[in-house]
Amino acid sequence: MDQFVLNIIHRPEMVPEYAEKVTGQGKAEDIGRESLLTESLDIFKTQQAIAHKNGLKTTIQMTYASLFNDEAVELAKADHARYGDEIALTLLGLPCEQFREKYKTKDFCIWMFSMEDKKAIVQDVFETFYQRFGFYPESTGSYYMDAPLINYIKETYPTVKCAVATCWEEGPKAYHTCNNSWYTFMDGGPWAPWIPSKQNTHAPAANEAEDSGIVAIPHLSRDLIACYDGNGSNFGTHPQNVLRGMIYDSQTWEYHYLYNLIDQYRYQEKFNNGYAYNMQFVGPGWMNKMGRWEAPYELLKKSYEDGCAYYGQLKKEGKLVDMTMSEFADYYRQKKHYTEPECALWRDILYGSKKQLFWYCDPYMRACVNMDQGGAIVDLRPYVAKLDWPVGIGTPHVQDASYPFLIQEKYRAGYFTHYAGEGTVRSAKVCHNGEEVDLCLCRTKAHFSRRGGDRILTLDPVDIVFSDLTVKLQTVITFPEGASTIRMDRNILEMSDPAADVTINEYMVGCYGTTEYTEDMSGLTLAVEAGEKSTVIPYEYKCREASASGAERVLCKVPPIETLVSLTCQGREKEGYVKEGYAFGPMFTLGYIGKLREKEVFTTWLNLEKAD
Amino acid sequence: MAQSGKGRLNYRCPSCFLRDLDIDMFYDEEKKEYHCIRCQFVGSEEKVLQWNELVRQRYGYLHKRFTMDELEDFTV
Repeated sequence: MDQFVLNIIHRPEMVPEYAEKVTGQGKAEDIGRESLLTESLDIFKTQQAIAHKNGLKTTIQMTYASLFNDEAVELAKADHARYGDEIALTLLGLPCEQFREKYKTKDFCIWMFSMEDKKAIVQDVFETFYQRFGFYPESTGSYYMDAPLINYIKETYPTVKCAVATCWEEGPKAYHTCNNSWYTFMDGGPWAPWIPSKQNTHAPAANEAEDSGIVAIPHLSRDLIACYDGNGSNFGTHPQNVLRGMIYDSQTWEYHYLYNLIDQYRYQEKFNNGYAYNMQFVGPGWMNKMGRWEAPYELLKKSYEDGCAYYGQLKKEGKLVDMTMSEFADYYRQKKHYTEPECALWRDILYGSKKQLFWYCDPYMRACVNMDQGGAIVDLRPYVAKLDWPVGIGTPHVQDASYPFLIQEKYRAGYFTHYAGEGTVRSAKVCHNGEEVDLCLCRTKAHFSRRGGDRILTLDPVDIVFSDLTVKLQTVITFPEGASTIRMDRNILEMSDPAADVTINEYMVGCYGTTEYTEDMSGLTLAVEAGEKSTVIPYEYKCREASASGAERVLCKVPPIETLVSLTCQGREKEGYVKEGYAFGPMFTLGYIGKLREKEVFTTWLNLEKAD
Repeated sequence: MAQSGKGRLNYRCPSCFLRDLDIDMFYDEEKKEYHCIRCQFVGSEEKVLQWNELVRQRYGYLHKRFTMDELEDFTV
C-alpha cells in the first residue's frame, strides 16, 4: 500500500532564533526578557493548536531552555496525554540564561562544539529532560549532527532511535544569502530519511555493522531543484520559508507553490516502493507577532494554518499518515533495507522552466542527473568512502560539515565555463567530420523504471544535427543496487545516413571539495590501465594527457577524500584517456572515445571505491 | 539627522533579494525612505513593494496549481 508519511515537529524555543534580533532591534541584547519568553510560548501553543485542530499529531522537541519553564513542561505532558504527541528533546534552542552562564559561550549549534563540550551538553540536556519527565527521549536532533555526536548519544542514551540530522543543501548558498554570516555548511546529504553510518552522518549505512542505530530525518522537505540552485531557506515544507521567498500573491495571499511542493513529495512514492515522506518543522521565531520581514503576523499564521489544513485534508482522504518521529523510525526500519536507494524524479514547479532532475542516494553515492543537460551527472558525492569527518572546535572542520563532491556544477562550473578552464560534469560528446556536439546541450526528459535491483532512467531520444548527418541518440542510465556504479548506455536509434560512423567521447571532469574554491590537487593520481601500455600521472598541474586503445580502466585516486573514481567501458574501438588539468583548470578528466553506427550501443560505467 | 531604525514591517532590500541576498533594510523616519546598507538601493515603501513584484516575476508558476498527473507531463 502506498504511504505518504508526515512528521510535524514543534519546539518551545524560549529564545527563538531571529526573534531576539528582530523584536529587540534598538535594545541591548537580553535573552531573558519576559516579553520574549511569553511570546515564544504563545507561538508554540498556537502551533500545537493548529496541528491538533487538523487532526495531526506532533513531536514536541523540548529545548534546553524550555526544560526550565514549568508551563512548557506541563503543556508537553498535557498534549502527550490528550493527542498522543511524542515528547522528545532537541539540541536546537540551547541559548538561554542558564546555558550562557554554564558554558560561557554564545555558540548554539551542537555540531560546532568541541567533542568534550558536546558530551557535557548532551549529558546536561538529557539528564535535565529525565528530571522533568522521568524518562529519556526516543527522538532528538539539530540542524546537523556529526557521526561522533550521534554515536555518543546512541551509546549513552540507547532509547534514542530517531534524529533530525541534516538540512538538505544548506551550505555555501545559505551562507551567501545571509550576507556571509550564517555558518551552516552541510551540503551533500540525503533529502529524505536514511540510516546514517557510524562513520559519517551524511553517508547511509550499507549494513548492520555500519548502522549508527538511529533513523535520521532531514530538517524540512526541500525543493530538489530550487534548493539545489538557490537559497534553501525559501523552498521547503516550512510555510514561512515560502513567504521568505515571496512565493505568494501579494494581493490574495495565495501560495500554490507550498501545495505543489507537498504534492511533488507525495509523487515520489512512485519511485520508492510506495513510500514518500514529508517533514514540517517551524521554530516559533517564524511566527513572530512583529511579523517576519515583510510578512505581517496575520500572513505568517495563515500560512501555517493553511499548510496544516492541507495535510489534515490529505489525512482525512486517506492519502497521508501522520506519525511521531519515534513511530516513523519503527516504520522506516520495517519498510526499507540498507542498500535500498532513495530516488526522486523532480520537475521545476516554481520558475516555469519544465526542467527535470533525478536524484539518487544509497550507501555508496549521491548523484544528480540533469535531463536539461542530456542526462549529464551534475552532482556526485562518493559516500562509498564513508569519510571520517568530525566537525566542531578542535577538529579540522570547525564549521564545514558538508560531504565532499567529485562533481558539482554550481560550485565548480559545469558544461559552461567563461571561455577558458574546465567545469565539473559527467557527459558525452558526439563527433562527426570535425563537428562536435555535447549532450549537455540536448534538452530532454526521463522516465523511471525498475528491473530487479536496477533503477533505470530512460531518456527521450535527442537529435544531434551535423551539417551532413542527423543522429537520433537515446541515453539509458542504470543504477544497480549495491554496486557503487552508474551505467550509461548510448544507443544510436537511427542516422540520416545508415552507413555513417560517428565518434563518441564519454567523459567525466572532476575535482574535490565542499565549496566554490579549489583545493590542492597535488596529491591526486591519474592512471590509464591497459596492461603493458599502462600510464600513471601524479597530479602536478602540468596539463599532461595519457591514453591507450583498449584500456581496461581509467581512474583518478583522490586521497584527500579517500576515493577512487574510475570509468570502464564496453564499445567498439574504445580508447581510454586521462587529462591532468592545470592551474586555471584545476580539474581532472577521465574518458573513453569509441565508434558508433546505427543500432550500436556504447556503454560506460562510472565506478566509486574507497581508496586505500 | 537621527539614526535609522526599523519601519512598519521589516522590509528586505529587493535589489539584493534579486541576487539571492537577504538583507534587512533600515528606515529613515525623517525622509520616509528605506535604505540598504549593502547596495545602493534607496526608496519609499511604495518603491519597495513595486520592486518586490519584480522578485515574483522570476516565479513563472506562481499562479499554477499542478495536479498529480501533471508532474511528469511537460505539455503543461
